[in-house]
Formats: sequence, C-alpha cells, structure tokens
Amino acid sequence: MTCLPEKTDKKLGLLIDLNICVGCHACAVSCKEWNTSGITGPMEDLKPYGDDPSGVWYNRIHSYEFKKEDEIDRTVYFPKSCLHCEDAPCVTVCPTGASLKRSEDGIVLVNPDVCIGCKLCSWACPYGAREYDTTGGVMQKCTLCVDKIYDETVSEERRVPSCVSTCPAGARHFGDFADPESNVSQLAAENDARDLFPEMETKPVNQYLPPRKREHHESKKLDHKVSTVKDALVKWAKLDFTG
Amino acid sequence: MNPALSVIIFTTFSGLGYGLFIWLTASILIGTPPTNDQSVISIVLTFVLVSIGLISSTVHLGHPERAWRAFSQWRTSWLSREGIMSILTYGPMVFIGCNIYFNLGFDVLIKPMAILGLIGSIITVFTTSMIYASLKAIPAWHNKWVVIGYQAYAISSGGVAYIMVDGWQYYKVVIALLLFALLTKILTWVYIDKHRGQYKREDALGLPDFGKASPFEPAHSQKNYLQREMGYDLCPKRRGLMRWTALGCGFILPALLLYIGFPLTPIITLICLGGMMAERWLFFAEAEHVVRLYYDRDSI
Repeated sequence: MTCLPEKTDKKLGLLIDLNICVGCHACAVSCKEWNTSGITGPMEDLKPYGDDPSGVWYNRIHSYEFKKEDEIDRTVYFPKSCLHCEDAPCVTVCPTGASLKRSEDGIVLVNPDVCIGCKLCSWACPYGAREYDTTGGVMQKCTLCVDKIYDETVSEERRVPSCVSTCPAGARHFGDFADPESNVSQLAAENDARDLFPEMETKPVNQYLPPRKREHHESKKLDHKVSTVKDALVKWAKLDFTG
Repeated sequence: MNPALSVIIFTTFSGLGYGLFIWLTASILIGTPPTNDQSVISIVLTFVLVSIGLISSTVHLGHPERAWRAFSQWRTSWLSREGIMSILTYGPMVFIGCNIYFNLGFDVLIKPMAILGLIGSIITVFTTSMIYASLKAIPAWHNKWVVIGYQAYAISSGGVAYIMVDGWQYYKVVIALLLFALLTKILTWVYIDKHRGQYKREDALGLPDFGKASPFEPAHSQKNYLQREMGYDLCPKRRGLMRWTALGCGFILPALLLYIGFPLTPIITLICLGGMMAERWLFFAEAEHVVRLYYDRDSI
C-alpha cells in the first residue's frame, strides 16, 4: 500500500560526512557492483564502452565549489542517493503500490514485479533518487542494501550497506536514526547535521554533516602580505624579509 | 520536463472529450438537449477522444500490461484516482448513448445519469490536474492555476466541439468561456514567471550558509535518466512563439471565428485542439524540476 506508515519502528539511514568525503566514487562503484546482482538488479549498463554510455546508478557523486566573501573557496564532494524520507512523496504518488515504505525499518523500496514504469515517482522525488530501468521497464532506487544488512551468514560488522563498508575515508555511517543512542544519531547531534532541501517537507532520514567551519585564516593573511611577484621583488630589493 | 507526445495527447484529448460530455450532460439537465442523432454523435466522439487519451497514457508505461494495477492505490495516488474516475465515467456515458441509440426506454434515468456524467467528468478532469498539481518538486505545477486551468480548457475546448456537433445555440457562452480560459492561461504564466528562482541550489544541498555553490566536476560523463526526463531546455524565443501559438489557436482564433459565425466548425475545433496541444506542450516544456538544482540550475 502506498499509504505511508504512521511511524516506523526503526529509521535506518545513512549519515554522510561532507567534511571527510574526497569524491573518489568508490561508494557508487561498490553500490553498482553489489546491487546489480542483488534483489532489485540487474542495474542496466547500456553501451558501457561506447561513445554515449548510460545506465542506472543508485548513488551519484556530485561536487560543488562554494564561494563566500572573505573565505577561501572550498570544494565539497556530495554523494547523493535515496534519503528514505519519512514523508516520501515518491511512495504516495504511486498508483500501483509498487513503491512502498517499510513500517519495520523505514526503508523505501520498489517492487519490480508490480511497478508499471509510469515514472511518476521520479517526478515526485525532489532529490533525483530514482532512475528508470529502460531494459526492465521499471523504476529502480537505493535499497539500503536490504539484502546485505540483514544477512545473518556474514559477521555483524559486515551488515552495513555496500557504500558504507567500502568508503576508504570513513565518510559514510549507517544506523538507526530512531534510536538516540545509535552511532548515527549521536554523530548527527554533535555535528550540526543537515536535511537536504528541507523546503520540500519530505523529512529525509539520511543526514549530511556539513564541511567544518574554518576557524583560522592565516593562510589568507599570508596571501595578502606577498600578493604579487612584483611586491616580493620590491621587498627583497629593500632586503626586507619580514612576513 | 520532457514534453512527451503521449502525455500531451492523453491530457488534451481526454480534456476535450470530457469537456464535450460536460456540455452534453449540462444541456440535458437544463432541458435543452440536442436531437437524438446529435446526442449519439456527441457521445461517440466523447468515447473516442477519452479512449484515445487513456490508451495514449499507457503508451509511455514500461509495463502497459500491468496498467490494471493502477486502480488500486486511490487512497493516496491522484494517478490512481484519475484512472478509477475515468473508468467510472464511462458508465453514464455508455448508458445515455445506448439508451438513445437503441431506444431502450429508460428515459426516466437519463437525467440522473446526466448528473452522474457531469459530476464524473468534472472530477476526472480535476484528478488529472491534481496528478500534476500535487508535485511539490515541480513549482510550475504545484499551484491552483493548474487545477483551474485544466477545468477551464476542458470546458472551453469541449464547448467548441459541442457547437460542431450540436449546433450554435450556446455559442456566446462558449466565446465567454474561451475568453475566461484565455485569462486563466495568462494569469498562470504571470504566476509561473513571478515565482521563478524561489528555490536555490544551496537549499537543495542543505548548505545555505556556505556561500554560493556551483557545480565543479560533473557527477557522470553522459546525461542520465534524470537529465533526459527533467532537463528540457526551452529558450525564451521559442517560449514566446509557443505561448502566442497556444493563445492564438487555443482561445483567440476559435472565439473570433465563432463570433463571425464561421460555418466550418470542424476546422474551428481542430484549430482549438491544436492550440490546446501547444498549450500542453508548453505546460511540460516550461515546468522545471528542482532536481536540476543538483545539475545545471542555480535557482528554480
């Protein structure tokens, strides 16, 4: 049913630390590798070696340059996947019940056996979390590796989404946001965690830790002191080596 | 949004069909029904237009054979409600048509059925508009003008078709409705243009306090599904041309031709339908999805 659960027992999701992410795309590659043979795979890969490759990815790594007055520009790598929203608009618009939010853990999934491929859910999602599988004629999205995180045949520390276990920088955390004692809840509380696009009123479960604020500006001041080669030469001509 | 022909045909043809049926049922209810032959032709035309629309709407599905599943989620989904209402409205449509054509003799039920048909048509058009108006991620659609507009365009274009089949009795009302629909369309564009830029890329990133963000490296080398589906670019020159085409063919020219009593009413109907299709093409092409903020738009 496309009615959203009033409350989910758990709120499983990701906490992504933008201060740590180095934009290596390992999480996206690992996601594709795991999920293409997972429960909602295969993830289509059209003309992978051609001029115009195209395909489905559940996770895409954007990057942005932030410019602010009196601050050095910063580059922010920005991994984006389904946020498993509490008020998921992609679920309620679905005419067939293929799009669903699980009441036990809050994971948003698409049932590929019921989906008619009308694409309306992808229109409803403000985050671009859903991509259409032209080969299978159904919508696909992040499953939070639901076939991995509950797998009792692997050791407990491995029961995390593929993107989390693969991140070489430790920028991705997985846990239950409904539990205030969980790793993700505590990290979120301590570090000014952000919702993506709060204006859309989707109550995303996934949270992002912003880049840390800079406290020192010495490097900037240095730049001002020796701003051009000409200034430096003039100083050296005066045998002035300060700064 | 990508202006796909299937959804343009779906919304314009079914709008015209339900509009015509609204006129027919309303004229039955106020006691000025057209002749039996005219009524039957109106209903056949409605049936054909609405069915073309419905079939066209299933063309873009990944699994058209599963379309029946779309009737199940009426509790939350406007698309599901639209599907159910469109099927229910076939009931009074087929009943009135069969009763007149086969002379079944259930004349006492004609007026109650006309009431159901009238209400069903209005609700179906309303549910169609709500499929779009309920999407917060597309600001150009998420407003009351979409709801008012769909109703106005269905009834005004349906009125032109009514004159074609059933005669000129209400042509002044149709002209008035065409002018009302024209005004609605202009006000819709004023609304859309005034509300551009309300959402910023920094809001989408959840980082409004880090200055101005611009894309650095692209997330992928080639366009993905999102960009193909939602990345339609409409240049201002083409937009102006299409806006004039929509206004001219959809409302102004039909109103003018009706005013001078132009006798070839099928031509007027075709011009009006062409204008509606231009209007609907723009409806999609002009609507920008906020997901573009993660790609090539600073604000939407």
